[in-house]
Amino acid sequence: MNSSSLLTPSSSSSPHLQSPATFDHDDFLHQIFSSTPWPSSVLDDAPPPTSDCAAVTGFHHHDADSRNQITMIPLSHNHHNDALFNGFSTGSLPFHLPQGSGGQTQSQATASTTTGGTTVQTQTKPKVRARRGQATDPHSIAERLRRERIAERMKSLQELVPNGNKTDKASMLDEIIDYVKFLQLQVKVLSMSRLGGAASVSSQISEDAGGSHENTSSSGEAKMTEHQVAKLMEEDMGSAMQYLQGKGLCLMPISLATTISTATCPSRNPFVKDTGVPLSPNLSTTTVANGNGSSLVTVKDAPSVSKP
Amino acid sequence: MASADKLINTDVPEKDVFALHFLQSLSNLRTQSPLNSPNKSIDRVRKIKKAAYVSMARAAGGTSRLWSRALLRRAAKDDNKSVRFSRRKRKVTWKISSKRKRSNQRAPVVEEAAERLRNLVPGGGGMETSKLMEETAHYIKCLSMQVKVMQCLVDGLSQK
Repeated sequence: MNSSSLLTPSSSSSPHLQSPATFDHDDFLHQIFSSTPWPSSVLDDAPPPTSDCAAVTGFHHHDADSRNQITMIPLSHNHHNDALFNGFSTGSLPFHLPQGSGGQTQSQATASTTTGGTTVQTQTKPKVRARRGQATDPHSIAERLRRERIAERMKSLQELVPNGNKTDKASMLDEIIDYVKFLQLQVKVLSMSRLGGAASVSSQISEDAGGSHENTSSSGEAKMTEHQVAKLMEEDMGSAMQYLQGKGLCLMPISLATTISTATCPSRNPFVKDTGVPLSPNLSTTTVANGNGSSLVTVKDAPSVSKP
Repeated sequence: MASADKLINTDVPEKDVFALHFLQSLSNLRTQSPLNSPNKSIDRVRKIKKAAYVSMARAAGGTSRLWSRALLRRAAKDDNKSVRFSRRKRKVTWKISSKRKRSNQRAPVVEEAAERLRNLVPGGGGMETSKLMEETAHYIKCLSMQVKVMQCLVDGLSQK
């Protein structure tokens, strides 16, 4: 198998074409090149005839020097080469392979005209026949390129998003969307917590605490703690935090709490007194859900609060 | 693929830049309403949140990124200010013309997800999907940076 790649890797987005298969149609190629002129769009420079011969000879010598002009189109039935092949098979070249693989090649046109196009460095004339009956027009080429770009970007996004090991495109996209939502929520909560001042948070608490939500634990102790915390938060957030820390509790948004609780111990009541969840006590408080989705919950913590 | 990444630049400044902008905006807030403890303190939260986003947009590259531009414009509209955008020569990116309404050929899965993303990412309404994803990557990086900064700030303040 001829291993020298005859195609200049000029483009970035197209995969390198496989090197042409064994080429055993020397005579045939001579025939071709001498008979019809190359379509001008195919070649970068130099008048077709000379370049053909040059290319032929280059190929013959298995020369690895990269020629910018179109190199061989071995008319083998190796479908990898059809990309280049299609650039030329504009019907003007009498591709009648003696071995009957000609019919095969003609019918076997590829849709991967992008690769051919990139080698040519311009858009090939859309006279190629597509595989699988797709429309053979620049639209599909453009479409394919577009999809490639999108896939490329999704790959880079995949590295950014944690838990981005999903192979499925749809779930990956969902993951990305959820992550963006999560980050925005984090900003909101962080702006609420201490920078926003205790008063803001406590006002939210008092507004929402009226709602009869199942979250409030049955034991009076928890309620007392809550009230205490709310009271403390009105004065000084720091003392509220200290109070909670002393009790071994930490604060987190409810959404996070539910996530963690369902992840770790699904059977538990997710709202109160989950154990073993060390978190940094930065996010503020209460046990009541409210409308805007950023409701918070107190969670019992391991004795030592570990900061991340 | 390596050479293709040259086209996509999702570099984000260091944390310090974000911190600087955010702290500046916070101090501005403070000077605006010094001893003000408004009853509806939710406003304060909102102001801080907005300051966070605006400072993030400025830190991330000002008006050179589509999402930051849209964010700044949106914020300025609320304040009835006007934002000045430098008319830079648009770098020509090969964008498949969206005039070609061949929606059946565009993967519907991707497109609906892109729609959701457009609602999330500021300025996403007028972007092609590929550009949208580029912006999303940058946006995610900036958001996470901003979150880190705010987290550090809160951590620092919580020490007594």
